[in-house]
Amino acid sequence: MTSGQKTLDQHTVSDEIIRCDVIIIGGGPAGLAAAIELKRLGVADILILEREKEPGGILRQCIHDGFGLQRFHESLSGPEYAARFIDQAKELGIECLTDTSVLEITPDKKVITASRQGLTTYQARAVVLAMGCRERTREAICIPGSRLAGVYTAGVAQAYINLKNIMIGQTAVILGSGDIGLIMARRLTLEGAQVKAVFELQPHANGLPRNIAQCLNDFGIPLLLSHTVTRIHGKNRLEGVTVSQVDENLRPITGTQEYYACDTLIISVGLIPENELSEMAGVTLDPRTNGPLVDEHCQTTVKGIFAAGNVLIVHDLVDFVSLEAERLAAAVAVYLENDGVPAVDDRANDTSDKSRPATDCPLNAPAANCISIEPDRSIGFTVPQYVSGRKDFLLSMRVRNPHKNCTVVLQQGSTVIAETSLRKAIPAEMIQIPVRSADLVSREKITVVLKYE
Amino acid sequence: MTQKYDVIVIGGGVIGSAIARELSRYKLKTAVLEKELDVCTETSGRNSAVLHAGFNNKPGSLMAKFCVEGNAGFEKAARELDVPFKRTGKVVVGFDTEDLAGLKALKDQGDRNGCPGLELIDRTRLDELAPHIAGEFAMFSPMTGILNSFIYTIALAENAHRNGVNYFFDHKVTGIDHTNNSYTVRTPHGLFRTRWVINCAGLYSDIIAGMLGNTDYTIYPCRGEYFILDRKLEPFLPMPAYPVPNARAGGLGIHLTPTVDGTILIGPSAEYIEQKDDYSSTCPVMDLLIEDGARIFPYAKASSIIRSYTGIRPKLVSKNKGGYADFVIEERDTFPQAINLIGIESPGLTGSLPIARYVVEMIGRKEDLKVNPDFDPYRQGILCFKEQTRDMQRSLVHSNPDYGEIICRCETVTRAEILAAIHNPLGAATLSGIKIRSRAMMGRCQGGYCQTRIAELLMQEKNLEPQEVLYLRKDSRMFTGRVRDL
Amino acid sequence: MNRTFTCIMCPTGCEIEAEIEDSGDRTEDGPVILKITGATCIRGNAYVENELKNPLRIVASSIRVTGGNYPITSVRLTAPVPRARMMDVIEELRKVRIEAPVTIGQIIIQNILGLQSDVIITRHIGRRK
Repeated sequence: MTSGQKTLDQHTVSDEIIRCDVIIIGGGPAGLAAAIELKRLGVADILILEREKEPGGILRQCIHDGFGLQRFHESLSGPEYAARFIDQAKELGIECLTDTSVLEITPDKKVITASRQGLTTYQARAVVLAMGCRERTREAICIPGSRLAGVYTAGVAQAYINLKNIMIGQTAVILGSGDIGLIMARRLTLEGAQVKAVFELQPHANGLPRNIAQCLNDFGIPLLLSHTVTRIHGKNRLEGVTVSQVDENLRPITGTQEYYACDTLIISVGLIPENELSEMAGVTLDPRTNGPLVDEHCQTTVKGIFAAGNVLIVHDLVDFVSLEAERLAAAVAVYLENDGVPAVDDRANDTSDKSRPATDCPLNAPAANCISIEPDRSIGFTVPQYVSGRKDFLLSMRVRNPHKNCTVVLQQGSTVIAETSLRKAIPAEMIQIPVRSADLVSREKITVVLKYE
Repeated sequence: MTQKYDVIVIGGGVIGSAIARELSRYKLKTAVLEKELDVCTETSGRNSAVLHAGFNNKPGSLMAKFCVEGNAGFEKAARELDVPFKRTGKVVVGFDTEDLAGLKALKDQGDRNGCPGLELIDRTRLDELAPHIAGEFAMFSPMTGILNSFIYTIALAENAHRNGVNYFFDHKVTGIDHTNNSYTVRTPHGLFRTRWVINCAGLYSDIIAGMLGNTDYTIYPCRGEYFILDRKLEPFLPMPAYPVPNARAGGLGIHLTPTVDGTILIGPSAEYIEQKDDYSSTCPVMDLLIEDGARIFPYAKASSIIRSYTGIRPKLVSKNKGGYADFVIEERDTFPQAINLIGIESPGLTGSLPIARYVVEMIGRKEDLKVNPDFDPYRQGILCFKEQTRDMQRSLVHSNPDYGEIICRCETVTRAEILAAIHNPLGAATLSGIKIRSRAMMGRCQGGYCQTRIAELLMQEKNLEPQEVLYLRKDSRMFTGRVRDL
Repeated sequence: MNRTFTCIMCPTGCEIEAEIEDSGDRTEDGPVILKITGATCIRGNAYVENELKNPLRIVASSIRVTGGNYPITSVRLTAPVPRARMMDVIEELRKVRIEAPVTIGQIIIQNILGLQSDVIITRHIGRRK
């Protein structure tokens, strides 16, 4: 039984397989920038697959300004930043299929999509994963209370208000001082809701100082650090929350409970890279980032599959996402020319225990042709996690806690190969350190240590 | 305004709907009065969804009888009603000599109840059946199965409805008057005069019984909390795995149960509570669930939790008494033609069809039931795109492009399925109603991606203003209005 | 009285302390500033001075679009306006109704409320099919 033949532009929808040089999954900032750079480098056969009706990714709903300060020296809104790339992609004739979802992807880079026009199977030579991330939910952090109307993650609240023209509540509290929560504090206030407070579990704020100033301080919205919501009240629609202070182990302190009456609870407690398709393709994830293990080419553990943007690591500046995607494009172009840039650690010899669930999988030791990068506990993770040692590369990382006057030191054994001093380091701001391959002294692992008072 | 019926069923849950369907085999004008806006709002939508074998029930009890009977015939019902069902088997695991004695007693009881195939097994056999479950030995029950309890209840209701039963949502029964040979059932939206009243009001069956002059019973709400674990763990739990039950506790112990959808349930806990509608999850229990669950399933971790939910057992025994009381299914001379079903907790789901037949038999003893020649036992559910072969999927999209639009990414639910869920035969129109019919919003992102699109579709298709969109019950408004007026 | 600011002019984010006149005396443009410490460059000082005297903000919001394939679109100001006037700007924008199509960069209000800033569309909306 086969479906009928229908043409969608130049693609034929049927049982046949359509060959494509590069398939980019996700038409957000990472996917768009990668596509444009690839085209610029002479790769013509590119296809972007986007599940929404329009490209732009999460930027579509980020109507506030602050995007593009680094790249364009302008303070643009999210949709404007995206439009720069969307327009350029159109001009370059890059094909972007919208309203198209990826049903399946295999390690040998077969991609099956579904759209109103039908199911299509592609065979790509290279795949770029650019699916972005999803939000951590109330459920995942187990707040006691009933399940009811009125609890929204910040991104969902933002989509309702900015895209769907729907107002979600009148009095709100926000759990989590991540940037999206802060942005929504302002947005809700501007739309006439009363935002009573923002509660942050950690003893430090998680969002950018600019947002603390312009989303909270401007409106007199208090930020209560070392606080968390310990109970949700109400049976059908939220009526209020109980908030407690927490101790140094982030456990609620008995006796500190306070009740806040509200009809809306916004949850902004973290982003998780959206890697279901990555795992389907056999890509190994780093449990520290929840994103793929990659080398300096942004190539994953599967040859020819690359990743950039929030699917790889949660970024705070979209300008950096665009740069990362452009570096990825350069690597993909080389890959296509040479029919391969070696994958991180040739998994042919993978001896990891496949009977254990993926959630439990430890980082495996790399093969001989890769240098692993090991951050200490103050840093937690880096991207890339492995490098060839033959190229200069940019190392991205975040500190786990705020520090003043600290130094990030990269070493091989006892030899310092790079270091950066920072007057101030906060978790909200990604740190990027350029490393020259000429400075590497051996094939030994690179340790990344944070030195602070 | 009074509507006249032969039979009024109070409560549209699995028991009420099974009875309604059974009644529709005969020429009886039947209506179901459901206080909520959809079926599955209370206990029927909040359980472990297990088809029990019957070894947990006291020999000679109605629970044992209906459980074993309901278990045996289920493939047929699942086929007729298009309900996802897997006869997975189950292991009850033990670690020490006390457990072993408990298991032997359990097997004994099961044998006496007529449960086929129960066997005590060792670790070697356990390794073959469920290698990732901890335990030194176990009892294996081959007849235990898992089903989709939402779809089952919905299917019963839809089939009953198709065969002529009228469903009235938002019809809470506020009083029943007994005059001569009939009853007048009072609701906020009108009166219903009827010959028969069947009380399947679950948690509130004692209240309804009270309206029928039967104040002998009290329902003690006993809450059970559950966690749902990510479907990534599916390969590691092929069948339900329970610890040996403790007779004094009010539930079956904290167990691990795979769902037909591939997720895993940990729970339920058991805690007597004050209010019948307090569905809160609580902190101490949540900690306990993981701790206890991990004892038999080491992969149970807090990081794999995608959702929590609670159910409330309508128990006939108080906290002090503990244990179970048998099902109460009775008709009294003082109130003839009123059948009360009280305390239908586990294994109510498993025993639902035999219970329904039993009740209809009770009616049949007093009346001459004429067969409805138009009765059609078959009900077709919403086709699940995700489970079809690629060829079938291709063909579906070709015939209906709405199948090509994936709205719920995590569970691969298409626009066609969501539209079918919105336009369901019973007319239920809440966000939860769409969820339980289509599986949308049940995945790991919990609607993070699709909820906005589904809410928009619901408003569009049912012509709702934003403030009319409900999550589950009447007061669960999702939105306050528009950002900019139209 | 002391007020602390985290400067947002560059990623360093210096913590700058401003000592201002307690008595509540104000000049025409804000409180009397006695001392500013903690900045590592002059932009920091300027930022804090501005924040105290005349904080300016860009405002972004939604406006109603009729006849388009979406009911609303997003807009922002082209230049920052006094923080104290933000809500006035929002109120003005609430009243706007514009017919699709609209394109990014299109000016829908010039010099809104005389505040030396235009309002531009930031998201294309096509006509409803």
